[in-house]
Amino acid sequence: MNNYAEELDRAIEAASSGKPVELDPEKSELVQVALDLKTIADPEFREQLKAELLHGTKRMPFVPGAITREIPNHLEPRSTFLPTLSGIGYGNYPLNQRSFAASLGAHITVLALVVASGVWAASHDRLQPRVTTHLLLPSDYTYAVGSGGMHGGGGGGSLDKLPASHGQPPRFSAEQLTPPRVVVATESRLPVPPTVIGPPNVTFPADRMGDPLSAAITPSNGPGVGGGIGNNRGNGVGSGDGDGVGVGYRAGFGGGTYIPGMGGVSAPRPIYDPEPEYSDEARKAKYQGNVLLWVVVGADGRTRNVKVQRSLGMGLDEQAIKTVNTWRFVPAMKDGQPVAVQVSIEVNFRLF
Amino acid sequence: MHLKIAEPETDERLLIEAAQRDPSRFAGLYEQNFDRVYAFIARRVPTREEAQDLTAEVFHQALASIGKFEWRGTPFVAWLLGITWNTLSAHWERNGKRQEVPADELELAGNDGKIERRAMLAKLVDSLPPDQRLVVVRRFMEQRSIREVAQELSRSEGAIKQLQLRALQALRARLRSSYE
Repeated sequence: MNNYAEELDRAIEAASSGKPVELDPEKSELVQVALDLKTIADPEFREQLKAELLHGTKRMPFVPGAITREIPNHLEPRSTFLPTLSGIGYGNYPLNQRSFAASLGAHITVLALVVASGVWAASHDRLQPRVTTHLLLPSDYTYAVGSGGMHGGGGGGSLDKLPASHGQPPRFSAEQLTPPRVVVATESRLPVPPTVIGPPNVTFPADRMGDPLSAAITPSNGPGVGGGIGNNRGNGVGSGDGDGVGVGYRAGFGGGTYIPGMGGVSAPRPIYDPEPEYSDEARKAKYQGNVLLWVVVGADGRTRNVKVQRSLGMGLDEQAIKTVNTWRFVPAMKDGQPVAVQVSIEVNFRLF
Repeated sequence: MHLKIAEPETDERLLIEAAQRDPSRFAGLYEQNFDRVYAFIARRVPTREEAQDLTAEVFHQALASIGKFEWRGTPFVAWLLGITWNTLSAHWERNGKRQEVPADELELAGNDGKIERRAMLAKLVDSLPPDQRLVVVRRFMEQRSIREVAQELSRSEGAIKQLQLRALQALRARLRSSYE
């Protein structure tokens, strides 16, 4: 049986290549069947063509009598075809209406998203405003002496008949070891330069009350009490009350409020501090920078007397003032009592 | 076993009229005539690829122009083979080949015994057991070697030859019985 199968296969190969073969009738008949089978279509091709025809008819408008010999063009390599909506190659591949609809919908959706994102991007600023605020304590900045912009003060004296001497006051210090004197009763063995309580980095203009080194006029500590220079009381300089300089009291200079960190005054702590908003003008101009505000935080924790120390413009100063006016603090404390203090608030306007 | 190759006239006429009303109903005519058209072409071109391309072209043209067909009692396959012959002629012209057309060949095409035999054989292949049918499809329709078929099916070459023998014997027997 195996030999017969091999002989038959050899006969089929020979007959397929056109070689003359002598075979017995039975084998000849089987070879003829095999040769006939070689002229039968591949079942896969048969089904593919059927699908191609039937799916194609769903889309191709049927025109009775129209013989379109050029439509199939099957003599071209099929790999060169691509299904098109209405051009060459139409109908050569099975097309599914649902797939077409899904593809069309997907393309429309993507196109709509692209257009919408473009419109959105064109109508919105790409830069996002960001505003931050910082509460600055005296050690963080340098005071500038201005008219009425600073407060605090001090005074003293030693019950002299003459008014206190005029001149350059001693330098400021956070702590006072030696009060200022024009007339020193006894020299110390370990002399410490006299200071008054106030921001250490303040420079004072001359011709203020209390230059302990001045010999231009008759030296006098002034008619005040307490040990400083002046006509009131305390270890400061001036007509105030305290260890600072000027007409105010407690510390610092100028008159009015305390300065945190000086003379045992604690810093106020913000409990409600919303960030200012960017002004439309500055945002459109992509303008950014810092605004420095000078603020009094009262004993009630509210802000008042908000003033601009460093301006930015374009409405940002106003935005900063408007917002800082709404801030609330736990007030600064001195000796267990809430006191009003001066602080600076830096507002940073940035675009990212 | 009796195989009905040609549908009765009324059935064929109904199929044609259905396809003329709705081209998607062309499937019946396609199934009925595919093997004959393919066999007609395959006898006259050297390669399987050419036979497939030309067969596809014939059926596309037939579908496009079926509305023009008028029923006059002539079998549909005769009209179809007319398109087939025009397609073959155009193909030979494109390739610079000319082939004389015997005057009576076209007239006899519809009743060509060889074509009918091959059309019937195509249908009989589907009735073979699966392993034999697979060997026949790979070996003859796809024209692969015994070795390639053996490798694909993970069988020995001897086993493939045995399957081939049994398939050919079965087809011969069924062809004989269909003509009785």
